Parts: sequence; C-alpha cells; structure tokens
Amino acid sequence: MSDTMDNFIGLSAVLTGFASSILAPGLDPVNIKAEYLPFFTAKVAAESGNPQLVDSIFAKYASLAAQQLSDQQIGTAMLDPANGADFVLACRKLIFMWYSGAWPTLIPASASAPASTVSDLISAKSYTCGLAWQVMQSHPMGDSNYRYGYWNSQPPALNDYTGQQGA
Amino acid sequence: MKNHIPSLRLLHLRRAWPLGVAASGLLVAFLAQGMAPDVSGAGKQAATVPVLSPTIPLEITVTSPPSPPTLASLQHDFDVFSWQMFVALNWPANADGSPNTKLTIGQAPRDSVVWQHWRESRSIFLPKGETPPPWGQNTPLPAVCSGINPKTLPPNTLRLTQIGKTPNLLDESSEPFKTGPLIDQNGRYTRYEILTNETMFNYILGNTLYSKAGQQAFNADADFPSSDPKAAQVGSIMVKAAWVEMGGKYDPSKFFTAWALVYDNPAEQHGVKPFCKLEKVGLVGLHIAHKTADEPQWIWSTFENVANAPTQGEKLQRSAYNFFDPACKDCQVNEPPPRPWNPENAYTKPSQIERVIAITPEAKRLNDSFHRALAAVTPNSVWLNYELVSTQWPTNASSRIDPTGVPAPSFLANTTLESYIQGEVKQTSSSCMACHNNATTTAGKSADFTYLLQRAQ
Repeated sequence: MSDTMDNFIGLSAVLTGFASSILAPGLDPVNIKAEYLPFFTAKVAAESGNPQLVDSIFAKYASLAAQQLSDQQIGTAMLDPANGADFVLACRKLIFMWYSGAWPTLIPASASAPASTVSDLISAKSYTCGLAWQVMQSHPMGDSNYRYGYWNSQPPALNDYTGQQGA
Repeated sequence: MKNHIPSLRLLHLRRAWPLGVAASGLLVAFLAQGMAPDVSGAGKQAATVPVLSPTIPLEITVTSPPSPPTLASLQHDFDVFSWQMFVALNWPANADGSPNTKLTIGQAPRDSVVWQHWRESRSIFLPKGETPPPWGQNTPLPAVCSGINPKTLPPNTLRLTQIGKTPNLLDESSEPFKTGPLIDQNGRYTRYEILTNETMFNYILGNTLYSKAGQQAFNADADFPSSDPKAAQVGSIMVKAAWVEMGGKYDPSKFFTAWALVYDNPAEQHGVKPFCKLEKVGLVGLHIAHKTADEPQWIWSTFENVANAPTQGEKLQRSAYNFFDPACKDCQVNEPPPRPWNPENAYTKPSQIERVIAITPEAKRLNDSFHRALAAVTPNSVWLNYELVSTQWPTNASSRIDPTGVPAPSFLANTTLESYIQGEVKQTSSSCMACHNNATTTAGKSADFTYLLQRAQ
C-alpha cells in the first residue's frame, strides 16, 4: 500500500477501534478502503475548502504514530480542538463513514428546527461494509453470509469482529 | 506502517512453498520449467508451456515470487489449479473411468473423458428415496426413453433432462433468483447435468444422504471429505455441465461432443409431455468444484466454450457466437425468454447473452499458455475451444465471522450456467460460495456447499 493509504488505515484503526487487519486485510477482495480513501479526500477538501487538510491530518497521525504512542493517546491528540474545527470534524466524519458506510452532513439549528445530521450512503458495497453491523455481531439487512439457522446460535465473540484483544 | 503489514492467514502459510503437495506432474513440471506467474499486467509471456497431466491436483501450489503472496499472485495459483483440474478431468478415460495414461488430453476425441464416468445426480437421488446402485453402476433408462434399446446406445451416453442449473425449473415456486432456460442459436433449450466423483458419491451413499429419511436420520451438518495431499487422496469434486444440440448453426468440430438421451419427463418436470431422443450434444460450459483441505468452502472453477458470448462494452471478436447474434439489434440482453417455458417447443427465440464481468488479462494469458500446451499435443485439439473464466476461492477460509471465507473474486458467473444473474450486486449476482453457503439438507442442516442434497426424496 502507499504511504497515504497506510496512514488512512492506521488513522482509521485508531479512531474506530477496529484492527487495521480488519479494515484492510492482507488479502482484500472487497477492498472498501480503495473506495473510502478517495471519497474521504475529495469530501474533506470540498467541505473545508482546504485541499491540503487531508494531507495535514495524515501527517499529524504519522507523526504521532512514529512516537510509539498508544492508540488512545493518538486518538485523543487527533481529536484535540487545538487542531482546528475542520480538522476535528474531518476525523469525526471518518469515524462515521467507517461505521455507517455513509457520509454525514451537519445541518445547523435554525429557527424552526434543531441541529441534525443527515447522511448519504456512499455505495451498495459501503452499506454492507459498515462497521456498525460488526459491533452488533450481526449483519446488514438484506445481506448475510451466515448459514441457515444462525439465528439460533450465539454469534462469534466481539473480538472476532473487531480484531482487537479484550474487546 | 508497522500497524498495517499484510497478514496472511495461517492457511495460506500452510500452502506455502516449497510445494507441500504430493501432487501432479503438472505442478512439479510447471515450476521446474520456471513458469512463474505473470501478474504484473505487463503482458510478459513465459516461453515455456505447462505440462499436461492426468493427475488431479490436491491443493494449490503457491508460487513465488512475489513473496509474500498477494491477491493477484494467489489468483494466478488458483487459476493454474483450475486448468490442472480441467486437464485431468477431461483426460481420455479407460472403460472403468480411470485416465488412460497411454493417451494425452485431446487425443482420441471420440473417447469418453474421466468426469463422464462420474455419477449424475438423477442416478443418486432416486424416486421414493431408494438406495442408488453402487459406484460403477447406473440406473435403468428413464421410462420416457423405454422405446430405445439400451444396447443400441453409444458407450457413455449422457442423460440430459435439466433445462437449468436447478431441478424442476418449470416449477416457478422453486426457481431461485431470475434464472431461466438458455436458448441456443438454433432455438433449442440448453441442457444441463450435475455429477459427483466417487468420493462424494460414497459419502452420500455411506451416510444415507440420498433420501429424505436418511438425511433425517443423519441429523448433522454434511461434511464432505476434502482432498488430502499427505495421504494422496482425492476429495469431493462435483461438476456441472451445459450442453447444446449439434447441427444447424453449431459445427461439432468446435465442441467436445457426446451422445445424449435428451428427454423430458413429466415425473420430473410438471407440464411437459414424455419425450426422448438420442442427440449429439456439444459442451458449452463446465463448472468444477473441488473441496480441498485448505479450502473448506471448496474451490470453484468455471470454463466455457470460447465462442459463447461477447463481453459487454468490448468490440465483437467473432462473426458468430453460441449465445449471441451480432445481427440482432433489438434483442434484450441477458433476459430469460418469456414464459411459459417449454423445452418441447420446436423453436424459441434465442437468448442474447453477453458476459458482464470480463475475463482478466492474467486469466487470458494463462488460457493462452495452456492452449499452447494442448496444441503441442494435438494441433487441432477440441480443447483449444475452451477457456477458463476464473476461479473463486476463499481468502480467509478460517474466518469465524464469515463462513464463505471472503471469496475472491467476489462474483463469478458462467454465461451458460448463470446467464441471467451475472453482475456485482451482493445477494443477487452470481457468487459460487455466497450462494452455495446457504445450501441445506432436507432436514435443515448445512449441506456443505451443495444443493444436490435437496434433491433427496
């Protein structure tokens, strides 16, 4: 993988709590990361008006990772308000994207309605790849690889879904 | 990045080189001749050609470089496995079904080949759940063919009645997805058969899985034997073949042909009239599924006649196709014929089929290399008319959260066997493993990736 993709997956792992080997397996026929990275890059640039923002996010992450910090420390540093509102918002949207397979749009409160978030599904593939299903130890509606009768059995352990020990 | 080193699953490490496979001469010769996979896309062509062997491979051979294996390099290795299977199964057979090692594939083209001696599903799952005859024997001709003296039939005559992958296709209630009959350029129905090898048959027979009552008594998930390289034992293999009647727009010299009793049986297909005739048929499609130790989801290989159909979005390569009419401008592409479906119709408007997912350049190069090997033995070998479409295999066979093992490629279709469900939409488009993972016995237990057990009565 390219350095950019490495940073994208590394940052995504820190922010989502999933192991990078789950987000980007060594043998990856689904390859959702190849869809997410350019989508994320284009969206952040368009919404922030700053084409360099994604690069600066990845650079910050790479710097922190090189310091051998824990995932918790890196995540806290990445979401520090001192990074700037657009920077932090992009990181939060990255989490949203991985968990839902969709891209969020924040709608500020108005005189007639409270603030809200709407989201647009990125693709059919992203819908099935949403990590929310994994955390539920379940499957997307309409798409299950479990065998007949699975509903009568305990699902695999959460660790098997997240790739993290002690999850 | 230290936290994103591609991690190969254990099973792949077990496959790793040097070859741990007590396998075919082809495997060994392939490597001995230095035919490394060309997965670079640069179009480099190896100067050597693979050796053709009648030995069924028991496991894939992971080639190197690159090291560690990549998705592309492993795809190549599985595709080589598929061609090895194709060569071994289409080897000329002795009378007992064993490969005739005095011949090479492509020689004696009128002889039967190995897989034609296997057991067709209708001779396994008998009416009333009767016990099928043991391996090496067959059931009597169907009643609709009673007017034909069996002694007058050519050796190894096929029995073809299915008009789709699934049985009872004329029964709408059992039709999965949008499948339907495939109509050839002569306006005739394509016919199908499904066969098992001896290992798979014996498992069904030994565990009484040939009947509903037997499956009820078995009361467990099916677990067909896998190939065992250490013991040099061939595991379970099944094939699905698609055939068209020769004549008319079909030149028999372009097909592997066989004699077949083509029949319609009201006892099997509601609404048809009894009908049976002896026809020369030509092979247009062949699935091969092989359960191996490292791939409990089986390895799924699919081959086609090279003239079946053009690829969507590509320039036509031929003036005529087996299932596509270049002159037809208003034909609906990849749409089944209108109902009602009846294989006895003298003529049905031919299907207009296009391949949705192109054969990869890497697979094309491999096809070329095996074609060179086949031509070196027999310049006009009938097998030059067949090509590998692709191989589906599990990238994470031991996954605890995905019993399909995360197949690669995610979708795979044969234009003669999954004509109308090609594409890349999950749970809709053809994926061998994703579909067959749902197979159950009639007792509601996992059927280990085969729907055959649903045919038990």
